[in-house]
Amino acid sequence: MSNVPKEAIEVIAQSIGITNLSPDVAIALAPDVEYRVREIMQEAIKCMRHSRRTVLTADDVDSALNLRNMEPIYGFTSRDALRFKRAAGHKDLFYIDDKDVEFKEVMESPLSKAPIDTSVTSHWLAIEGIQPAIPENASVEAAPSDGKKAEYKDDGTSVDVKLPVKHVLSRELQLYFDKIAEITMNRSFSVVFKQALLSLATDSGVHPLVPYFTYFIADEVARNLNNFPVLFALMRVARSLLQNEHIHIEPYLHQLMPSIITCLVAKRLGNKFTDNHWELRNFAAKLVASICKRFGHVYHNLQPRVTRTLLHAFLDPTKTFPQHYGAIQGLAALGPSVVRLLILPNLEAYLQLLEPEMALEKQKNEIKRHEARCVYGALLRAAGLCMYDRLKMFPSLLAPPTRPIWKSNGKVATTNKRKASTDNLMQQPPAKKIATESAMGMMPINSMQADVQGAASSFSNTVGGSNIGVSSMTRPLSNDNMLGREVGGRVSKTSTVLAQAWKEDTDAGNLLASLFELFGESMLSFTPNLSFHSSFD
Amino acid sequence: MENMQAVNNFVAAYLKKKGFKEAEQLLEDLQNKDSAPIDFHNDPELAKFIHHFSQSEDDVARYQDGYSKLRSWTYSSLDLYKHELLRVLYPVFIHSFMDMVAKGHLQEARTFFNNFREDHELMHSRDLQKLEGVLSQSHLEEMEFARSLRQSKVNIKICQYSYDLLLQYLHKTQSTAMLGVINEHINFQVSSGQPSSISDDAEVVTLIGSCQDTANQINQKEIHWGLLEDSLEERLEKAGGLLSDSEKTEEENKEGDGDETKKRSVESGKQGASTKKLKKEKALNATAKSARPEASTTPAAPRVKAKLPLPLMSTEVEQSILEDLRNRVQLSSVLLPSVSFYTFLNTHNGLNCSSISHDGSLVAGGFSDSSLKVWDMAKLGQQGGSSILQAENDSTSSEHVVGPNGGKRSYTLFQGHSGPVHSATFSPLGDFILSSSADTTIRLWSTKLNANLVCYKGHNYPVWDVQFSPVGHYFASASHDRTARIWSMDRIQPLRIMAGHLSDVDCVQWHANCNYIATGSSDKTVRLWDVQNGECVRIFIGHRSMILSLAMSPDGRYMASGDEDGMIMMWDISSGRCITPLMGHSSCVWTVAFSCEGSLLASGSADCTVKLWDVTTSAKVPRNEEKSGNPNRLRLLKTLATKSTPVYSVQFSRRNLLFAAGALSKNL
Repeated sequence: MSNVPKEAIEVIAQSIGITNLSPDVAIALAPDVEYRVREIMQEAIKCMRHSRRTVLTADDVDSALNLRNMEPIYGFTSRDALRFKRAAGHKDLFYIDDKDVEFKEVMESPLSKAPIDTSVTSHWLAIEGIQPAIPENASVEAAPSDGKKAEYKDDGTSVDVKLPVKHVLSRELQLYFDKIAEITMNRSFSVVFKQALLSLATDSGVHPLVPYFTYFIADEVARNLNNFPVLFALMRVARSLLQNEHIHIEPYLHQLMPSIITCLVAKRLGNKFTDNHWELRNFAAKLVASICKRFGHVYHNLQPRVTRTLLHAFLDPTKTFPQHYGAIQGLAALGPSVVRLLILPNLEAYLQLLEPEMALEKQKNEIKRHEARCVYGALLRAAGLCMYDRLKMFPSLLAPPTRPIWKSNGKVATTNKRKASTDNLMQQPPAKKIATESAMGMMPINSMQADVQGAASSFSNTVGGSNIGVSSMTRPLSNDNMLGREVGGRVSKTSTVLAQAWKEDTDAGNLLASLFELFGESMLSFTPNLSFHSSFD
Repeated sequence: MENMQAVNNFVAAYLKKKGFKEAEQLLEDLQNKDSAPIDFHNDPELAKFIHHFSQSEDDVARYQDGYSKLRSWTYSSLDLYKHELLRVLYPVFIHSFMDMVAKGHLQEARTFFNNFREDHELMHSRDLQKLEGVLSQSHLEEMEFARSLRQSKVNIKICQYSYDLLLQYLHKTQSTAMLGVINEHINFQVSSGQPSSISDDAEVVTLIGSCQDTANQINQKEIHWGLLEDSLEERLEKAGGLLSDSEKTEEENKEGDGDETKKRSVESGKQGASTKKLKKEKALNATAKSARPEASTTPAAPRVKAKLPLPLMSTEVEQSILEDLRNRVQLSSVLLPSVSFYTFLNTHNGLNCSSISHDGSLVAGGFSDSSLKVWDMAKLGQQGGSSILQAENDSTSSEHVVGPNGGKRSYTLFQGHSGPVHSATFSPLGDFILSSSADTTIRLWSTKLNANLVCYKGHNYPVWDVQFSPVGHYFASASHDRTARIWSMDRIQPLRIMAGHLSDVDCVQWHANCNYIATGSSDKTVRLWDVQNGECVRIFIGHRSMILSLAMSPDGRYMASGDEDGMIMMWDISSGRCITPLMGHSSCVWTVAFSCEGSLLASGSADCTVKLWDVTTSAKVPRNEEKSGNPNRLRLLKTLATKSTPVYSVQFSRRNLLFAAGALSKNL
């Protein structure tokens, strides 16, 4: 019935030499022992409190015993916790391990260092109620967590919680920000939004709001990935901010870029089929390009990082076509040299993958087919623009109209027929429509007829070999020697031509031929106009 | 006929027990005659009673049974009346337990206690801990707490309907054991109308036996809580008119944020009428903060005569205090004080108390190794500075009561006690220190001479606390011997002994007008004593654990007390009621202090924080609102966390700078 078992009483009795303790006495004593122990502990707790402590020590028990006019229990004043050990063979007998200490050893051991004397230091815990951030004070983060909770608990309404705002926005700017945010989120089709964009692009006073806007864009893009109008509106806001000459947006680019890249290569943008996410991707691509152009010299690693991200998206076959589209558009927007360096070497292999997706027989899914065609269009455009750029740089390439051998025409035509059939199904940029119509007629005019023929013959060979993918980026040196400037290069395969496209000195003519091989006559629309006219004459 | 015989026997046993000898005789006669036995069976009431009486032998089980039934009935009762009925459970519980112990059914009592203790753990854990130790009849006798419980009745306020419900239940279930306990130990104060609100249960929290009645009686006594006549502050107000010219510039700087400034301006009449109007409005708002009269003609705080002969103050000292008062920062909920924190390092868990002088220049620490150490903060800052000061230090240190390497020490060591020093207090002028120790003595030390002047012997047990009066000269002490004593510096015998607490007196504090002292005790009450006649004039009941700290508001109207659980209670001295409990600390509140104009309360706790509370918001609560529901009006303004340093003392300087002190402890 008592917490003290009678066995314990018996053990204690034995220890002080009473061997013939009757069980009745033990039973009667046990509750009294418990009562006395409790009494002592109650006094000990009082002593503890008056020593301003919350942990009970052996000293407190001693003082409590003292209060009751009892001898304190000596030998327990050590500061470390006492470790009781269970006596072997007994369930309920414990003892404190007391080591024998050699007196000689104690005598000979060097004196332990004297404890450091007590001292007092002073510091400011608070200055007019605010805790200064000095090492003597507890870190501020830890403290308010429970402090604030208590405040709310005590009085929910009347506590003035001060937010840690370092610079305070004026009321007007806050209103402005709220208004813009509201328009962006809800009324992006209204005229007001256009005005807002204009204001953002021109107003010099919005600078204090830049961090808020970048945060707003980043936040809302992450939250509204399936809300197409909002995404588009946000991108427009981003563009306006970037256009504004008065604001210093560089420090916030790192916040802005992920959002824009997201709008470029996200798996899904908007939740409806009708959402024209292609347009959004185009928009974002332009935005990325403009940022890279504007800030590329300040942040020298900006463009490499962007291109790396986009290239990864482009080369990853597991990514969806819209993502590929976005990546291609992004890369294309960065300029022809990027296309030449990064897209062209992988073009052929990619087209091999793309081909079956576009074919009516192989891909039954209308949407997939449509997507594939969009990607094809993007690739075409990228490659075409790149070529255009080359041709423009070396206009002489088109000048010599070395009349080609007509006999090859038939062969080329056959290959082109196949292409053309697919091309008809293909969605193309309107500018290129004409090209399809006049494909047959234009063929002979192509100054690179021979190349095309050569390339076409080699086309069948390369269809099987798909090892030209990324590996071709390694620019094998041996090929450099093989490829001359002269037309002898025609022996080279399309793939190597494309792979070598990054080299300045690669013949643009070769390039055109290869591209023509891959894209068919639609590529011709990218040759500079001048040549077109002249050839038609 | 056998049945008949049994009935007769029961009746006989009953009569014997109750001592109805004649009736017993009569019954015996009747039985012997056996002529016409009373037809017990036709009287169902009687039969029932007899039936119950027959069970009296195994009534231990009935306590258990009855209590558990009463408990489940209470818990399933109507929500509106539940909390009233729940209050009944606790006294029934402890008295059932003690009844069982008294009847010698110890084993059953223990099981009963353990079965149901959880219900009351929240409210009464400390009482339960005490009662848990009661294991035999003799303990009941020995233990004061149990004895006082047994001897007195508990008052429980209950509304008519709850009372009816309870009676109905008890009659219907015929739980006579419970009925007995309730009749014997509970005194119902039945009130008509709606049941009282839950928060209004201050009286229920503490069962202190007979105290309740006497407390109510005592709390009727008149108290003059007003400030002293002709105090320095009053003199300052009067002098304000003269001083205002020289301080006009300062006044304009501080405009609007201070009473004194206001007063001065009102008297000098140099401010426009509009500001005056503003002030009048403010005055209307601050109903309770009326200790400072807005105009000298209508003092809101009554002035009282000192009952003690007050010591005289030298003019220089007076001037310096006046100067301090004039330069005081007016604190409010929007203007929080600066806090200077003194950290004791390397105390090796030996620091028992700390005290800071009024100007913050001296810090004293009482240690468990019987020593009292005093640091001069002004010297501390300059140490190793100019050689002149160093030399000065050395010259003074030769007079110190110090050990062999006294010159190097950063503090002055006062040795004399032979037990742990539990409390130290500076005189208002900082020239004396009093320390109290477990060796039952109080010692007076001079900071000028660095020597022990007097040893006051009078207490029989450790002296837990000692406090100088606000005017100096007099001091009060609190001891384990359950008394508080008033002393004056020039006599070695106490002037008054305040006895009445049921347990240790743990802390003591003077009222602002020096006519009263307040004591906090382990019996969970705070008492206010008249210094002149030694009578207890107020009992403040409401704390749930030992009271560790006390503070009096400078206007004399309020008192704050902090307890072991981290609760601080704000009391209205004149009514004896708790205005509002301040919840926020999670551990022992070692110290509380009012700011000098009484608008803020600072508290320091073992949870390593200093908290600042708004006093004025609570004062604005209208009386009637106060009574109904006790809204938690006192706001926690700020929590200042220290770096693992429990706060042992907080103290506002006369200029309203807050000083706090504590010992850095690593093992927290």
